[in-house]
This record gives sequence, structure tokens and C-alpha cells, in this order.
Amino acid sequence: MKSLTSIFAVFKKELKIALRYPSWFMQLIIWPVALPFGYIFTARALSGKDASSLNQFQSMTNTTDYITFILIGTTIWMLVNSMLWSFGSRLRVEQIRGTLESNWLCPVPKINIQIGHALFDLVTNLIFVIVSLIEFKIFFNFNFAGSPLLAFLVLILSIPSIYGIGFIFSSLVIWAKEINSMVFLVRGIISIFCGITYPLTVLPNWMKSISKIIPMTHTINALRSVIAAGANLHDISYEIKFLILSGIILMILGILSFSYTQNKAKATGSLGHY
Amino acid sequence: MSGFAIEVSNLRKEFIVNKKNGFFNRKKERKVFTAVDGISFNVKYGEIFGFLGPNGAGKTTTIKMISTLLMPTSGKIKVDGIDVVKNPREVLKNMGTVLTGERSIYWKLTGRENLEYFASMYGITGKKAKEKIDYLLKRLDLFKRADETVEKYSTGMKQRVALAKALLADPKILILDEPTSGLDPQSALNLRQLILEIKEEGRTVLLTTHYMEEADDLSDRIAIIDHGKIIALDTPDNIKKSLNRTNVLILELNKWDRSIENSIKDIDSVKNISSKFNDFSQRWEIKIHIENGSKTISQVIENIVKHGIDITNFKKEEPTLEDVFLDLTGKSLRE
Repeated sequence: MKSLTSIFAVFKKELKIALRYPSWFMQLIIWPVALPFGYIFTARALSGKDASSLNQFQSMTNTTDYITFILIGTTIWMLVNSMLWSFGSRLRVEQIRGTLESNWLCPVPKINIQIGHALFDLVTNLIFVIVSLIEFKIFFNFNFAGSPLLAFLVLILSIPSIYGIGFIFSSLVIWAKEINSMVFLVRGIISIFCGITYPLTVLPNWMKSISKIIPMTHTINALRSVIAAGANLHDISYEIKFLILSGIILMILGILSFSYTQNKAKATGSLGHY
Repeated sequence: MSGFAIEVSNLRKEFIVNKKNGFFNRKKERKVFTAVDGISFNVKYGEIFGFLGPNGAGKTTTIKMISTLLMPTSGKIKVDGIDVVKNPREVLKNMGTVLTGERSIYWKLTGRENLEYFASMYGITGKKAKEKIDYLLKRLDLFKRADETVEKYSTGMKQRVALAKALLADPKILILDEPTSGLDPQSALNLRQLILEIKEEGRTVLLTTHYMEEADDLSDRIAIIDHGKIIALDTPDNIKKSLNRTNVLILELNKWDRSIENSIKDIDSVKNISSKFNDFSQRWEIKIHIENGSKTISQVIENIVKHGIDITNFKKEEPTLEDVFLDLTGKSLRE
């Protein structure tokens, strides 16, 4: 019960601080539409005036709906990007603010503090997804070819992988003491290897091998199959299994790296370092 | 319950310092820096124990080890009989800590919201939390502005919010790291009064400071620390009495240089000299620790006059903790 109290306290504190920065809501409204526009116009130009090259696109993706294809990729990219900037960087931000040690002086398991941060991030990301869906409907006439519930299940099953990476990332940031370059590195890898705006079949074989071990590739694949091509649970069973397994592995690795970083920081005194 | 609120024995903290030799030269020089060098002391229940020393002496490192933020290299620390390394969470339940600086609270939250957050982290919620927070806000004179964000507070108010945070769980033991650092004289005075009131409630206070007057005024006992070692530990009076044989002469002169200083140092019973130039009076203030009373005073004055220097003021003072520090280390606390 006390653990839940501390997790909820962190969530409430983060929410109150976020509400004091109203510009935060502007990006929530602008980015879901602004980011995909550039890619969509590029795709429109490449498909030709009579959309003649869409057959080629369909042979690689099982759909001609390149707009939905791009929207799914950019949305997952933005979710990961948001996780890296908020949850993944939160410990470092607390360290820079000078409040990390104050939190570490509270008699609670320190992982609770990070779980509280993750909870806040999850709720804001849920709002982001809802806002995105509304805007996609308005601007792109977005429709679900398959089950929305199945798409939601894919998103839920992706959470442990995304936040497992977040736990590892937040530990790395405490070491590297540099948020920007670390975020650019991780989201750069995701941009290139996960097929945010293109099908993985266009990648060279060595890149495909790397793509296959990144959980977000499977999230994007499964969502595209369900939303754009109307796939059912059976059709995406491989992706589902992969996301469950990678979620368990990455969460364990994330918690271990957090625990290791905590012990190391206590040994070196780096908790209070700027 | 153990005999002491805080027991520290043979505490040592070493840091590995890696010095890189440029980007292309991957060889690193590894050096071991000993911040705390095998110190031992006990803090009694209900006392204010002052930890006095210059910046970088090892005070904050010791405090961080006691408050579980830093792992000792070796040695033992018990707080209220509980080992801080083996059971840090239990230790934190009975201990409130105010760290140095004003950034230990959230500036984008109000004073009340900060206290609500940290109360929840101590498991204090609902009506009990509200009553406790209202009481602390009133007691620390923050109530009227409790619903303004902390960024609008003065440094003194921020420090009081940090103190209120440390008092939320009604701790038996309070650790204050440089609590008046950066405060204006009136705010510092008010905070010192509060610390004395906290002691009157029966709490134990471990206080670090580099202000000797603060340590002298507040502490029942003082440990003077320098280069990671405790060089004196007793009541302020006893520590000052240890300098009984020594008098302190304070002279105001129109001129001063190294050759005069050396000639006075050559007098056998002169122990230490410190000097500073007062920009306002345009005079040198010289502090000389001497033994042997009047005979030495005559020699010192004779020496100064011989160099053609005017003595514009002269007084003999009782030794302070600053003088003790100077006597023990040969340097000033503020150096």
C-alpha cells in the first residue's frame, strides 16, 4: 500500500509540474500531424500523378494505404521519442534540478520513483495516442481496417519493451550525463532500423537482421497489419510472442541496470553531480 | 535503543579520480582521493553536534554517508542503533535531512505541494498529512505564502521549506548540511533560533557549518574536521580552553609585507600570524597568536615600530574557534 502511495505521489507531482508548463499541450496537438505531413507529401510525389507506383508499394506492404502506413510508423516513433525525453531523462533532470538526492532520502524503494515517472509518462502517451487518432481522422480520414481492440492490445504488449529500454536509457543517461546526444542516438537507430516510413524489405540484409531484434519493429509491423491490412490475432501471433518475450527480457535488464546504477552512484557519490 | 543517536567508527571514504590525458591518449591516470580518513565520533541523544571545517574538509561527504546517500569505503555508521549500510530504509524513517543549497525542493510546486509530495513519500497521507503540513507551515512562518510556487520564495523561505520537509516524519534525528549557507544575516539568525527550538523538542541535531560563530552558538559539542580527519572534538568552551596558554593580538597597521611577517614569526613565542587588508579602512588587520603574555607583546610591537609602521589600533582577544582552527592547522577556516 505504501509503495502505491509513493508511486501515485510521484505521478501527481509530475502532473502538477507539467500543468505549470502550458506549452507542453501545444506540442501534443501539433506533432501528431506535423511530423507525418512531410513523409506523406514525399510519398505522394513518389507514387506519381496516377498513383502508378502504388502497386509496387502494395507488393511490399500488402496495402496501398501509404498514409496509414506512415502514420503508424511516425506515431510509434513519437511515442518512443517522448518516452526518451520524459521518462528516460527524468532521473537526469532531477539530478540537474538538485532534487534527486531529496527523493533518494525518502524511505521508499527507489524503483517506486521510476515507476511513478513511468506511470505519468504512460498516461501522457495515452492522451497523445487519443489526440493523434482524432487528428488523423480529421486530417487524413484515418480508418481501422482491422480490430481497434487488437491494435490496442499490440500497444499494451509493447509497453514493457519500450519502458524496459527506458529504464536502461535512464541509467545510461545518469552515467553519460548528456541527454541530447543519447536521445539522438537511440531514436536515430529506431528511425533507420524500424521502418518508420518505409517497408523493411527495402533494407539490405544486414540491416534487416538488426531490425528483427528491435521490439518496435514488431510493434509497427503488427499495427500496420491490423490497422491497414485488417490482420487478425492469428496473423500477428509471431509479433505478439516476440513483444511478450522482449518485454520480459528488457524489463528485467532495465531494472537490473537501474539497480546497478543506483549502487554505483552511491559508491561514487554521483547522485548529486550536476 | 543504543547509547548514541549516531555512532561513527573508523569511517573512511575514498574516491577514484581518473585523469584523462586528452582524447587520443587513452591512458588514464588513476588517483585515490581520501575525502574522509578514518574518523570516529558519537552523537548523544538530544544534543546539537556541530561539524566544523573549511570547504572540502569532508563534512558533506560524512553527512552523505550518514544519510545513506553515499557508501563508505570502510568503517561503520549506526543511526539510532541501525546500520546505515545494511538497512538504509529503516534509518531514513527516523531521520530528516536538509542538504546544502536551495534546490532540494521543487521550484515549480508550491510550498504546500512540496510538503504534500514528500509527506506521501513518507507514507503520511490524508487528514494526518494536512494537519502536519499546516502545523509546519505555521511554525516555520510559511503559511501565508504556502500556495505560491517556490520559485517566488526568498532563499530563506526555500530553506525553511526544506527544513519543514525534513520535519514531516517527526524524526528523532535531524541532519543539517550548511543550513544557513547563502542566507542573509537576519534569516540565518531566525534559522539558528529554529534549530535551537528543534533541539528543545528533544531531537538530536547533527549540523555541518563553516561558520565558527554558528558552530559556537548552537553546538553542545563540536568536531573540527580538516583534510578528512577530526582534529578536535569537545564542547566549544573546552576546545577554546585548550588554547589557554595562547593569547590573540589584533593589530591594525598602515603597512604590511612578507619581510615584516617573517621577522615577527622569528620571535619564539609567536605561534601563528594571519593578515588581511581592509578595503574600507585601507588598513591591514593582523592577527597574531602568542604565548608568554606581555613579554611577547612588547617584542611584537617593538618589531613593528622598528619597521616604521604605524599601529592605528590594538586589542587582545579571547580565543575563538577560528583561533583554535588556526592553531591546529596553521590556516584560517576561510582560506
